[in-house]
Amino acid sequence: MTGRARARSRGRARGQETAAPGASPAQEPAPAAAPPPEAGDLGGRGRQKGAPGPFSAEALLQISAGFQQVKLGERGGRRRDFHDAGVNTRQAMEHVKESKCGVTGNPIQLTANFFRILSRPQWVLYQYHVDFKPQMESRRLRSALLFQHEETLGSARSFDGALLFLPNRLHSKETVVHSETRNGEKVQITITLTNELPPSSPVCIQFYNIIFRRILRILNMQQIGRNYYSPSDPLNIPQHKLTIWPGYTTNILQYESSIMMCTDVSHKVLRSETVLDFMVSLRQQCGSQRFTEICEKELIGLIILTKYNNKTYRIDGIAWDHTPSNTFKRGDADISFKNYYKSQYGLDIADENQVLLISHVKKMGPAGAPPPGPAMLVPELCYLTGLTDKMRADFSIMKDLSTHTRLTPEQREGRLNRFITNIQRNADAQAELDKWGLSFDKQLLNLAGRVLPVERIYQGSRSYDYNPWAADWAKEMRGLAVISAPPLNNWLFFHTRRNSNEASSLLQTLSRVSGPLGIPMGKPVMIQYEDHQESLLAALRHNVGPQIEMVVVVLPNNRKDKYDSVKKFLCVDCPTPSQCVLARTLSRPQALMTVATKIALQMACKMGGELWSVEIPLKQLMIVGIDCYHDTAAGKRSIGALVASLNQSMSRWFSKCVLQHKGQEIMDGLKKTLTAALKEYLRFNGCLPSRIIVYRDGVGDGQLHSVVNYEVQQIMDSIGSMGQDYNPKLSVVVVKKRISSRFFAHINGKVSNPPPGTIVDSEVTRPEWYDFYIVSQAVRSGSVSPTHYNVVYDTSGLKPDHMQRLTYKLCHMYYNWQGIIRVPAPCQYAHKLAFLVGQSIHREPSMKLDDQLFYL
Amino acid sequence: MDLTFSPPLHKQRHQFVVDFVKRNKPKKVVDLGCGECTLLKMLKFHREIDLLVGVDVNGAKVKRKMHGLAPISTDYLEPSYDQLRVELYQGSVTQKDARFKGFDLVTSIELIEHLTPADVELFSEVVFGYMTPKTVIISTPNSEFNIFLPGVSNYRHSDHKFEWTRAEFRSWAMKVCLDYGYEVEFTGVGKAPQGQQEAVGFCSQIGVFYQLGGRDCCKTLLVNDAEDLFSYTLLYSINYPSLCDNNILRRVLVSEVLYWAEKLKNRWMEEQAGGICDAVALCQTEEGACAEEMKDLMEWSGASDSAEKEGSCTSSRIVAVPLDVLWSCCPKVSVLSGSLCNLKHLLMDEPNIKLSQDSSAVLVNHWEQDQEEKEDDYNLDDSGYPETSLHSNSAEQEEDWEANN
Repeated sequence: MTGRARARSRGRARGQETAAPGASPAQEPAPAAAPPPEAGDLGGRGRQKGAPGPFSAEALLQISAGFQQVKLGERGGRRRDFHDAGVNTRQAMEHVKESKCGVTGNPIQLTANFFRILSRPQWVLYQYHVDFKPQMESRRLRSALLFQHEETLGSARSFDGALLFLPNRLHSKETVVHSETRNGEKVQITITLTNELPPSSPVCIQFYNIIFRRILRILNMQQIGRNYYSPSDPLNIPQHKLTIWPGYTTNILQYESSIMMCTDVSHKVLRSETVLDFMVSLRQQCGSQRFTEICEKELIGLIILTKYNNKTYRIDGIAWDHTPSNTFKRGDADISFKNYYKSQYGLDIADENQVLLISHVKKMGPAGAPPPGPAMLVPELCYLTGLTDKMRADFSIMKDLSTHTRLTPEQREGRLNRFITNIQRNADAQAELDKWGLSFDKQLLNLAGRVLPVERIYQGSRSYDYNPWAADWAKEMRGLAVISAPPLNNWLFFHTRRNSNEASSLLQTLSRVSGPLGIPMGKPVMIQYEDHQESLLAALRHNVGPQIEMVVVVLPNNRKDKYDSVKKFLCVDCPTPSQCVLARTLSRPQALMTVATKIALQMACKMGGELWSVEIPLKQLMIVGIDCYHDTAAGKRSIGALVASLNQSMSRWFSKCVLQHKGQEIMDGLKKTLTAALKEYLRFNGCLPSRIIVYRDGVGDGQLHSVVNYEVQQIMDSIGSMGQDYNPKLSVVVVKKRISSRFFAHINGKVSNPPPGTIVDSEVTRPEWYDFYIVSQAVRSGSVSPTHYNVVYDTSGLKPDHMQRLTYKLCHMYYNWQGIIRVPAPCQYAHKLAFLVGQSIHREPSMKLDDQLFYL
Repeated sequence: MDLTFSPPLHKQRHQFVVDFVKRNKPKKVVDLGCGECTLLKMLKFHREIDLLVGVDVNGAKVKRKMHGLAPISTDYLEPSYDQLRVELYQGSVTQKDARFKGFDLVTSIELIEHLTPADVELFSEVVFGYMTPKTVIISTPNSEFNIFLPGVSNYRHSDHKFEWTRAEFRSWAMKVCLDYGYEVEFTGVGKAPQGQQEAVGFCSQIGVFYQLGGRDCCKTLLVNDAEDLFSYTLLYSINYPSLCDNNILRRVLVSEVLYWAEKLKNRWMEEQAGGICDAVALCQTEEGACAEEMKDLMEWSGASDSAEKEGSCTSSRIVAVPLDVLWSCCPKVSVLSGSLCNLKHLLMDEPNIKLSQDSSAVLVNHWEQDQEEKEDDYNLDDSGYPETSLHSNSAEQEEDWEANN
């Protein structure tokens, strides 16, 4: 893989902090949509279809059990269980019921970005059912009628149309009050106490989140997507017309021993130009001929803000035949977009010829009404947020961004402390908290972690330790032969005439470094190609045959299409391991040794070589890594990849990927792949594994439910297909990289990152899960981000300590990096495979490559 | 007979105010009895207004909705030239507050009917006699219309203390005009069914009051009320980001200047590097004068940056982008700064902007080479990571992981 491609894949993995459209505030209807009722202070959409009857005890139990059912929210809209609460997997695993903690390693004192929530002793939230007679359809009206009785209810209250929550108890169990509508209609309201919710009940927890959001509003922060940002001190990157707003992600949940708020620093990238500005300059750049195509590619999938409301929209399409003069139905009359914005918001639209943007609003309309159609948005009134793929690939933009957003542990801890101090100093915020009888701990949570010992790295008969803080053994590896490498006799070396110098110096250096590395390398056939895609492809077609063991291509520039066509040809049409190198990478003589070493190692493992290993104390074990790649922008299908170990030392892998069909779960395709992996294991070892551990990466927020309830069964079916009496032990571990938990160590009086190998399995874990955190990698700048492991299914009986250590060991086994990585190697392999297929090949690679790490 | 209004009557009343604002462009507007701030939320988009105030006797109601009046994200992203300040108070319209004097427009939508007759007297005195705004819009139910409203026996709402006929409203209004020097126009929203408009009138009757003789008379009043009354409680106030705020202006200007300096530099560098005519040609045809000027005025200062010391082959040069080129090339820069002299002045002590010695040009770094390699993974030569004594459990016992099952 080229440096460029690596940068891309990294950037991608980091992800975009854009908003989920569903979680956006609902204040103003999009013009095309029928105006939904204005979202009240509190209240979900969904619970109140028809008049709810009184709750049975069972129904209440359900509410407390999991809160997919309870829809109570400050703002309307689709509600997803982003925190996967209500998925209770630990109870099914007997061996971790008592404790899920490991024991190995040196204790280390850490702080985490968590604040405890404190409530008065005996604090309860009272839940009331509210009944209207005669029945009132509109939720707004119901709120208005109920809140006419402020003196009875008090100012602290929350009502979603049917359920009322109060921090204090009303006089009697049943309270009857009378209100009157605007039309003079008399309404009798019966308020019946139905439940007393303890502080840890799921409804209460959801409730704390709602109150906390109010507090962020009081602090004048702006909600974008799920997080809040403070626009008053923006960081500008004028060269790229970017503005960064500092902000926080917060969520309050029941953690292992207490209810806490997890809060992390977040940055929102915004563009100080409108979508229209963007389109105009894009047209200037690419000309009108390809404009529509390029414009759609760039814009679709991006999240925008508008000038007139606080909502975010996702661009789902562009209405090339619409302009602001088009009309839509508003009430009974037709009105043009131009006039609508003028009369409604006093906004003038200067460009009458701009096309409109389409956004499919997912939110439901008012109860009973047909769902609103797509919203049409005027580019001139919309601002882009986040980064386009093009910007993400732009090295200088990413570098400028990271100088602003990358915080050292010290800076990060400082910001978090300041955040909580600001809340504590703000009188209004305190008043709101006091009203509900809540407060926050003043300090970050202190907790104990453990640092696992350094793993010994084995290369054949030699072994060594690495520096624990560097978590990297490139230095130690120098001059040591790898475990095994197939001889390289029959190989091709492509380059352009312009890059002949670089090519020959690479070749010289390769032959110098390959000897000590124990990679036998013969002389390649040098082939020159013209700097065209067709010419390169023709040269490949002409020269690459089944006897060729390796193809090296020196690419003159980082044009993606050339890289893609090389990979496509050599992965699908004529399966051969290949190595692309950017000419520029070779242009610095002083770096050439390092580069050549890396390339030699990469070539060796692409052909099935084994570089190093760590001690794996389990026999007949197969480790499986699963990841997927979503091409969301263009609405293309997702790609799932599965990588499974074939030998004891975790140095040989079976890799396969599937292209997901529309409406299909990623696991449907991977099921067959897992069977194929088991067959390959059988062929390789003469027996089937007695233990299978699946590391599942790429599970989004709120998708845990489907992994637990669907995928685990699919995996078991797949294993079952190997024979009736085949019953291996199975563990399924969900791996999550994008989490907001952070840990800080205090070393020599300085706030620093926890050392690689730090394990946290208490306090900040979740009581209903068998989960733990590992900080496995070392970072040179910024704060390290721990990886969260959630064992959702486990019949292995493996002690938590061993599960943790095995996981950590696997983070040492990624052959493309001479050091420890963030996730177990099979996950990273699966990620690389899915990324290559999704970005470049777009087809299933040839079966012939299944046993090789050809995608590195 | 069933009568429904479309759009609903309360929206029509608000729209009436909005239309009035659009026509008359008042700068300072106060809504008495703002309740859930619905009218204010509509008015905040009309940026002719620079002070928007709401007051309601029910503070809790205001507090619940007041955050809806905060600026939205895009107000911060692209600050407008207009200023806007929003203030919300808890207070009674029967009491005087010095902060409410001198407004251009006072609105009181469906408010007075909730007051007792005695309070209406006080209201008249406070609004017309004390606050003395230039214009006042008062709406109140027209009781003659109640025959069309099914289910309304006495008043439209139980809290109404009275509902006036057109004549009653008129007589009150005329008296106010006489007492405090106003003239009034009567209108309304919510038309009666076909043919009966004349006989019954609008569902909501509206009086629009204009102060006679400008604001001369209020001066005398100001003298009379020497002591300032502050009877209302301020609940919420916020200034919308505006370019009138010097800090914001500076920030926006600096961003714009840096963006264009970078852009102009890149364009020029391309011309230099390429040497191929079409790049130059493109520039010249596109904005001829500008490109020409640039070529004459820009200079290499050829200074090499300290990055050299790392032994990397990236060197930087500094390019000077003259301010006058910036000023003439970029319309937004010229609008923001007003004059070239002012631009120089504004940029002078900006920490983010490097100016040439005579402050005639912005200096921009130019990186000779793409720095991609620098950041890449190839810096394995870094040695000497701090050795820490973290080696533990060096003699780890052999452990049987499979033992427990």
